[in-house]
Amino acid sequence: MPIKFEHVSHTYGEGTPFCYNALNDVNLELKEGKFTAIIGQTGSGKSTLIQHLNALLLPTAGTVYVLDRKITAGHQPKKLKSLRQDVGLVFQFPEYQLFEETVLKDVAFGPKNFGASEEEANQKARAALRKTGLDAEYEERSPLELSGGQKRRVAIAGILAMDPKILVLDEPTAGLDPQGAAKMMELFDSLNREGKTVLMVTHDMEQVFRYCDEVVVLENGKQKIQMDVKSFFKDPELCRQLHILPPALIRMKEMLEKKGFEFDEDIMDLRSFSKEVARQVKKNG
Amino acid sequence: MGNVTLGRYIPLDSPVHRLDPRSKILAMIMMLVAIFFPSGWIGYAILFAVVSFMIILSKLSFGFIWKSMKPMLVMLLFLLVINILVIHTGPVLATIGPVTIYTDAIMQTLYIVVRLLLMIMITTCVTATTKPLDMTLGIEDLLQPFEKIGVPSHEIAMLISIALRFIPDLIDETNRIIKAQASRGVDLKEGKIMERIMAILSLIVPLFVSAFQRAEDLANAMEARGYQPGERRTRYKVLKFKTGDYVLLACSAALVVCMIWLAYFR
Repeated sequence: MPIKFEHVSHTYGEGTPFCYNALNDVNLELKEGKFTAIIGQTGSGKSTLIQHLNALLLPTAGTVYVLDRKITAGHQPKKLKSLRQDVGLVFQFPEYQLFEETVLKDVAFGPKNFGASEEEANQKARAALRKTGLDAEYEERSPLELSGGQKRRVAIAGILAMDPKILVLDEPTAGLDPQGAAKMMELFDSLNREGKTVLMVTHDMEQVFRYCDEVVVLENGKQKIQMDVKSFFKDPELCRQLHILPPALIRMKEMLEKKGFEFDEDIMDLRSFSKEVARQVKKNG
Repeated sequence: MGNVTLGRYIPLDSPVHRLDPRSKILAMIMMLVAIFFPSGWIGYAILFAVVSFMIILSKLSFGFIWKSMKPMLVMLLFLLVINILVIHTGPVLATIGPVTIYTDAIMQTLYIVVRLLLMIMITTCVTATTKPLDMTLGIEDLLQPFEKIGVPSHEIAMLISIALRFIPDLIDETNRIIKAQASRGVDLKEGKIMERIMAILSLIVPLFVSAFQRAEDLANAMEARGYQPGERRTRYKVLKFKTGDYVLLACSAALVVCMIWLAYFR
């Protein structure tokens, strides 16, 4: 069981006038190797939640289990460093964390911090850069002179080079052009297929629908739902109750059903959906 | 980073909060001048009473003043040591080993402590009761007469208000970068010297980059809306002196006169 939240709450500034309850009795269980989406409106506690995974924030109540570690409210956890290596956290707009002179050095910074030798770190950095689609010609350039999308890739490579078992992403495609975003999602998808557990905060339901296995919905710091993506989107009413606009395919299905089309519940991809539409159009003339 | 009290605005509703920032700044300058006349302990007692009255009137707590005072303690201790070593006049108070302590050294230090305490009380009383933006408006108005000799009053005020406006943003940004680098294994508290220098570098470089980025964005946004530094413009908030402001200014002036009399004409 790589990740488990038991009655986890987090209150910012406890005992001050600015006291704010960001997470409220969250119970979660995430299995190994899954691609999980965390969705919810702005201020619902998504970012607070993910920062518990590598103990940047500690629960103010409850217990978080990550891999074989237990983080309980009120106890300063030990071995934080190894936890941070195992859980790679990519913040929103991670390009702001770049600081080294060259791309290669910046990506190798993480592994070096976790005790890798210079050579080992460079090797890992190169491998991570290839994965994110940046070839050797970028290695010696300054990360600050790259384009926004390339910077994002370098920053993500910086986390991948640490070879984390769990990858946590906070809106990784925000502000990217559609092609860049699609490429990025393909990368996370392939990492997930290689066996990494991936968690992603996102507002893009199309991404959730297409790539994720499970979905967790947060609202006002409370966990509303945890279920698998297919069954979640089978119920468009549930989505709307949670102020979530279902993906285009699902909305299309709904509209056509109102016009007299009939669809099997399990039709969840564009190809079989369009085949089915074509079949029914032909049949009914 | 969140518990800096020196110079922070405390949103309360009190007669002092409602005063015009210009009169508060002028009164502050006068009182600060008054402190530096050698008016003896009677003078300090009067000043202390007046300033305490202002603090009570402004509904600030003395605990808050004490918190602002705290960072100065180390400096005062250092000062005491220097004074004991340097000042060798007046009756001998005590001898500890090779060091002889003279009364003048202690008195001199006490004077400085009282002056510093008064200064902090006065400035805190002003900064804690005046919104930063009102303060810059006040500074701009007070500098206006000096424009004839080439003091760019509006630009100075704009500079100050922009600097103030970005402080919370930069604190947020710093916290964000600390967290992002911590996720990459940076440990700001532990490690060898080289590692720690690296850790601080990994914080400062991104912070500078984003600060410059913000500055550029702001400059562009201002230019896009036709900002011209030298141009005359009307204000949304027009400052106006009320009775309280005249009373404050009169009292401050009286205080200065009183201190001069105590110091030189008694």
